[in-house]
Amino acid sequence: MSQIGSFALLLALVLSAYSFVAGLVAVTRKGPGAERLGETARRAGIATFAMVFLAALVLVIAAFQDDFSIAYIFHHSNRDLPGAYKFATLWSGQEGSLLFWSLLLATYGLVLRLRYKTDSRLFAHASVIIAAVQVFFLLLLNFAAHPFAVMQGLPQDGNGLNPLLQYPEMVIHPPMLYLGYVGFTVPFAFALAALIMRYPGEKWIQITRRWSMVTWGFLTCGVFLGAHWAYSVLGWGGYWGWDPVENASLMPWLTGTAFLHSVMMQEKRGMLKTWNMWLIFATFLLSIFGTFLTRSGVVSSVHAFAQSSIGDWFVGFLAVTFAVCLFFYVKNRPHLRSEHKLESLVSRESSFLFNNLLLLVACFTVLWGTLFPVLSEAVQGSKVTVGPPFFNRVNVPVALLLLLLTAVGPLLAWRKTSIESLKRNFLWPALGAIAIGAALIVVGIRPWKDMTYLYSLMTIMLSALVGFTVISEFIRGGRVIKGHTGQSLFASMVQLAHRNTRRYGGYIVHFGVIVIMIGFAGAAFNQDKEQEMGYGDKMSLGAYTLVCRSYTQEDKPNYSSEWAIIDVFKGGKQIDTLYPERRFYKASQQMATMVANRSTFKEDLYLVYEGLNQDTGRPILKVHLNPLVMWIWVGVWIMIAGTVVALIPNAVPVRVTAPARIQAAPVGAGD
Amino acid sequence: MIVLICALVAASVLFYIFYLPGKLHLGVEKTRVAYLRERQEAVYENLRDLNFEYKAGKLPDADYQSLKSSLEEEAATVLAEIARLEKTGAGHPLRSDKGARI
Repeated sequence: MSQIGSFALLLALVLSAYSFVAGLVAVTRKGPGAERLGETARRAGIATFAMVFLAALVLVIAAFQDDFSIAYIFHHSNRDLPGAYKFATLWSGQEGSLLFWSLLLATYGLVLRLRYKTDSRLFAHASVIIAAVQVFFLLLLNFAAHPFAVMQGLPQDGNGLNPLLQYPEMVIHPPMLYLGYVGFTVPFAFALAALIMRYPGEKWIQITRRWSMVTWGFLTCGVFLGAHWAYSVLGWGGYWGWDPVENASLMPWLTGTAFLHSVMMQEKRGMLKTWNMWLIFATFLLSIFGTFLTRSGVVSSVHAFAQSSIGDWFVGFLAVTFAVCLFFYVKNRPHLRSEHKLESLVSRESSFLFNNLLLLVACFTVLWGTLFPVLSEAVQGSKVTVGPPFFNRVNVPVALLLLLLTAVGPLLAWRKTSIESLKRNFLWPALGAIAIGAALIVVGIRPWKDMTYLYSLMTIMLSALVGFTVISEFIRGGRVIKGHTGQSLFASMVQLAHRNTRRYGGYIVHFGVIVIMIGFAGAAFNQDKEQEMGYGDKMSLGAYTLVCRSYTQEDKPNYSSEWAIIDVFKGGKQIDTLYPERRFYKASQQMATMVANRSTFKEDLYLVYEGLNQDTGRPILKVHLNPLVMWIWVGVWIMIAGTVVALIPNAVPVRVTAPARIQAAPVGAGD
Repeated sequence: MIVLICALVAASVLFYIFYLPGKLHLGVEKTRVAYLRERQEAVYENLRDLNFEYKAGKLPDADYQSLKSSLEEEAATVLAEIARLEKTGAGHPLRSDKGARI
């Protein structure tokens, strides 16, 4: 079995190297010979997918067959591991996850190579760049992190999967994150291709935009699934700890978000071409950098699962990629000159520009804080780690300013906006936000008592401002459609969204963002309490009273566990029973926490079984009361829904009266 | 057995890559006129945006007229160049050495 996998990987390397070299020669020559060579390169790229797929399939089959002669399967699986986790073995360790990376890249490359007729020259250039990235990962797989290395002797059972990974979300979190990381290779390939061939016009941006949105959607899912996993599995009561691995996924998300906004300036106004080019380069480089961080062992992390010495390979690849980008940028820089200049500071363009600057400040802060231990060790000789206070000090004000821009941006016109226009569009949303702020103070939030309360209040007020502007955009647009069609306002708003899915899908994403931000604001009011809980013991936190009904132990094939049965009372009435648990996984000899969480829109009652008190033999429970956490997960679903809407093609616009000085154009309501 | 499987896989892959049909269908190369038409469509879209925002009551009259006028001028410039290229038949495919800003 392992020989077939090794052969498939080696053949994939040869094919991708051929796809790169032959493709490179073909795009630099002219004539029928070059076209035929280019076609063989394209087909070699497609065949690379088949071989990488075969290798991944062999590894998954080996996991299900408990083939512990393969070292990777021995280290990351065991006989009693449930089927879903055996499948997840593919991305649970260093070698397998690199194979998975390579498989996803080959899949994206396959789609690109099958759609080559859209613009054959541009796609041929992009295909060469993707082949180059593929060569790097296949070199790693063949020579530095081989997933089919064999064991000396045949072990009876494997070491098992890391217990932290034995959680249902872990079956989908890494694929989502990787789809995001790897997916940014495609916009990068198109951007670099457009720069290399000095592609005229902005069509490449339109082709890239869909890829970027899909990729960004996957990365968003991946980042938040990671946060949800940390909340549900790590048992510390929080969802984001500014851990280097979390930061690694956030950085490309921030630059990717910046790109999705600023790209509109290039499409609409032919501006920020250099900026956009470097944003997409940076996003790709940060994706690779994130992969490097999680596996090189450069920084310590609670969940850097796969540490090894392949860091040098990544550093080399990052350096070469940056050098190639820089070379072609310097060579073809005049091609990226803007067609228009910023006309006013109060315009849609400037709001996008500020939005981009803030996102980059946030990204740089995260990068600096993540690398600070490495930098401090290099300069001072001792590792200094910066914690959440550093990240929050910069990123909370940045997030508030971003929220303000999210409210303001859509209401500003392109080019310039007059004071009268500002008054017309902002008066009611601003009054609504102020009213909500006043109401919150009346119900008991005291922003002058603590900085976190002030931030929380501002977050909710600005979120309300964004919400009102989004609603006003839908209502204004819906009214115009209603005036033309006579439909109900709701049907008109649906039609409006269908006629410009990108804009209104974007507004739905913004709505999801504010729901998430309100969820974050709840963290200012978190409470927790720790107590030993024997039979019938009580603990109170907030409006809840917890009573320990029982505690026990259990033995299963894969793990043994200790758990408590806790009855939850509110207002003197029992409302639930929770089962916090702690497991000991036999194969890996590791402990894992199974949090019991009662989640409502108002708050989460989050119970952690800390272990037995060795002296009394009674369990110790830690209880967290975390307000508004569910809003975060609901907001993510809204963001995903908005992204899906934005990806739906626009309905055909209605033809109405065209501007007099130019020929008739379809002027569709909703655009 | 494994050697045979590997040899068969390799042969199939090589056959797929190098056995090409006599005539390739590679799609059409774009001309400068095609790129200008894309630009024209972008300006029209901007005009559609502007008209809709005006109808939705987001823009005062003076702002609308000023922005509309500048967009119409931009569209007219693009249309004039398209007309000129179509008249002279200069809308040839663009290779990398002829790529230019529009």
